[in-house]
Amino acid sequence: MPDDFKRTSENFATFRAALRETRPDVLVVLGSDHLRMFSYENSPAFCIGKAPQYVCTYENEARTFGLDEWEVAGDTELAGWLLGGHELAGGFDFAMSNEWLLDHSFSIPLVYLTDLDIPVVPIHANANIPPIPPAQRFADLGAYLAAAIAAAPSDQRVALIATGHLATEIGGPRQFLGGDPLDQEFDEQAVAWMRDGDLEGAISGCSFKRLLAAGNVTSQFLNFIAALAAAGGRPASFAEATASRYAPGPFFRWDL
Amino acid sequence: MSTFDIDKFIMHVEASDQQVRDYAADPTAFVAQWEERGLASRVPVADGGSLTANERRTLEERDYAELYRLGAHPYVLWHFVEAVFVWAGDVPWPEMNERFREAVAPLGYPDFST
Repeated sequence: MPDDFKRTSENFATFRAALRETRPDVLVVLGSDHLRMFSYENSPAFCIGKAPQYVCTYENEARTFGLDEWEVAGDTELAGWLLGGHELAGGFDFAMSNEWLLDHSFSIPLVYLTDLDIPVVPIHANANIPPIPPAQRFADLGAYLAAAIAAAPSDQRVALIATGHLATEIGGPRQFLGGDPLDQEFDEQAVAWMRDGDLEGAISGCSFKRLLAAGNVTSQFLNFIAALAAAGGRPASFAEATASRYAPGPFFRWDL
Repeated sequence: MSTFDIDKFIMHVEASDQQVRDYAADPTAFVAQWEERGLASRVPVADGGSLTANERRTLEERDYAELYRLGAHPYVLWHFVEAVFVWAGDVPWPEMNERFREAVAPLGYPDFST
């Protein structure tokens, strides 16, 4: 294995063990679909999956990333609760999906962190097709999810997984520079926001303009603002920008 | 239209291995067939078709720099380029990566919002 993947691999192993230790009954996975399920035909700001089963992956993602096909169970009960039952909850006009082919935003964490044996509730947050929700909205989403999960009628143990990027560019003049940081200042700030529990700093530091300046897909970092808010703004137990040849990997964990 | 149709087209091509192969083998025929099959949006452009003459030429010539300039979604565009030129073509990935970066660098960051 190339050296730059060693640390990434170690982090996944540590996170996997930490997740297993919490014995979750269900995983709420917050990610940003990459114009596979939700594209310019229909681009919800936030969408909750309420399907009994999810399939992965797309033919082009198998070709591009070498991902295998697999299935994972969905938790429709928790999904329905998060949606709000018969009236949308939490001030969020969530979209809902009963059939959703998951892309790598969801499959990468599930494959690397689990044995695909834990039911999931996927939540898509649009960070890829402008206009995207502003950072404050992601913080509101995280706070809502934490409160709704805590108030859920079942006594299930729920883990929240968020996925995204640090400064990253794909399909632009600064893509794949071979490991040189695209925007080291942003990455360092981003790690500090999580490490220090600086939710306000993260919100004010993540305008669309600033995120675009850090790379054209950096806006997926916003999912970590939701995670920080879901953790009540507490400092992360672990926060690291892990170097790799493609782009630094974000590894943030809250052991609550 | 039709940045929407450009994105729709490149996503259509990139979605399946067979479509990538067919497009790479004969882009002009593939574009014509795509329009004939009514896969474009139903909103006609000024010249009556679903694509402007420049958009059609751009897709037929696989002119990715022009697609970028026109506002194609960058993530989708790169994977389209990677599929057509590297996976179905004969350009090595590192060379394609460099070619792409150089081609789009003078164009900055075109608006790809909806």
